[in-house]
Amino acid sequence: MNTSSNSAPAIDIQGVHKAFRRNQVLRGMNLQVERGKTFAFLGRNGAGKTTTIQLLLGLLNRDEGAIRVLGHDPEQQPLEVRSNVGYLAEDQTMYGWMKCSDILRFLAPFYPTWDHDLALTYAKEFEVPLQTKIKHLSKGQNVRLGLVLALAHRPELVILDDPALGLDPIMRKQFNRDLITHLQGEGRTIFYSSHLLYEVEPVADEVAILKDGQIVRQAETEQLRADVKQIVLNRQSAALIYEQLSVLDHRPDGDDVAFTVEGAEAALETLQREGAEHRVVDLNLDEIFEAYVTGDSSFSPLTQEVPV
Amino acid sequence: MLLRIEKGSAVPISRQIIGQIAMLCVSGKLKAGERLPSVRELARDLAVNQNTVLRVYERLVADGLLEMRHGQGTFVADGAKSSSLASHRKQLLEELRQLAQQGLSLGLSADQIHELLAKALEQLNKQLQTQT
Repeated sequence: MNTSSNSAPAIDIQGVHKAFRRNQVLRGMNLQVERGKTFAFLGRNGAGKTTTIQLLLGLLNRDEGAIRVLGHDPEQQPLEVRSNVGYLAEDQTMYGWMKCSDILRFLAPFYPTWDHDLALTYAKEFEVPLQTKIKHLSKGQNVRLGLVLALAHRPELVILDDPALGLDPIMRKQFNRDLITHLQGEGRTIFYSSHLLYEVEPVADEVAILKDGQIVRQAETEQLRADVKQIVLNRQSAALIYEQLSVLDHRPDGDDVAFTVEGAEAALETLQREGAEHRVVDLNLDEIFEAYVTGDSSFSPLTQEVPV
Repeated sequence: MLLRIEKGSAVPISRQIIGQIAMLCVSGKLKAGERLPSVRELARDLAVNQNTVLRVYERLVADGLLEMRHGQGTFVADGAKSSSLASHRKQLLEELRQLAQQGLSLGLSADQIHELLAKALEQLNKQLQTQT
């Protein structure tokens, strides 16, 4: 959908490390986001999502590695990055005494490409009450005002830090609609962090899961669901076969073992070939996420009671 | 066209939409020649990624349920009812296969499973008779 002639990825993160004193947050993180994609960035609280976003915007400096945002290094060229990126911070605080209409006028001069008519159009569509003071806005109105401010300079890339946080289900759906119509519909790149997976799934083209400072999986949303499945086997077959599977998590289940595996198609071929009886369970995105971030992949058949 | 997306389901969203549109075709609620909402409209309505909706439409076109008329939009195809019946049969077979497997792992014989299916059909028949 995007017709930009520049073919560099919207976001390119290579081997990035970042520590705060002795707290190593990112450890050799790699991530590429193609232009025009709606990309969900997933991780548990404290996994380093906000740190990553601040590195992308040049609000923090990395310790090691390379970052390019729309082809620019945010450390060297922060202005180029910020004039082409719309940013909505987590829990964005704005001057409470200003009216919504005031902050639109206040921010306009900071951006050469600010389109004030567009800002007013968005404000109307997002039902932001322009004559109300910011401190009197509801949480949902606050997020949507933030979105108006992030979009009014027609950025190519929009970075949203947990925008759904604190929104009720109806506001979240409306917010998703806004993303779909106003951003996806115009072929822009959206990079947003979240921990509400069931909210992400209908909207995102692609997801990446951050764990222990690295991306443990990046995939198209539907591809991920097709690729990660739970397979239930009896213990004897499990002991014979588990080494050929790419196991994310395993749980004993009576005489059976339930494995959550990557590469489901190959795994099923293996099982077929070995003639192992098995059951396949489809997982939802929450369960897949859980397998990646808290899964126990170290299955050891020796600790099980296998008759010798 | 009223569709319902179940979030957090183990059934991927595209498959949910495909299944529901196919069902509307079989039941005749969507009639041949009827115009569907545009990709954009449906995406907005369901709050679902436009690319997902586009893929769903493309898939349903490939299956013969819908047709895209250039510059006019997406319409229910002429043979939609029989095409969707065919794809439903495939899905039904898959579901019956899973049920049969459950039965077998409970230790039921093939005959006993047939018996259960016959009983289920009988119950449905009774329900229909009391309704009419």
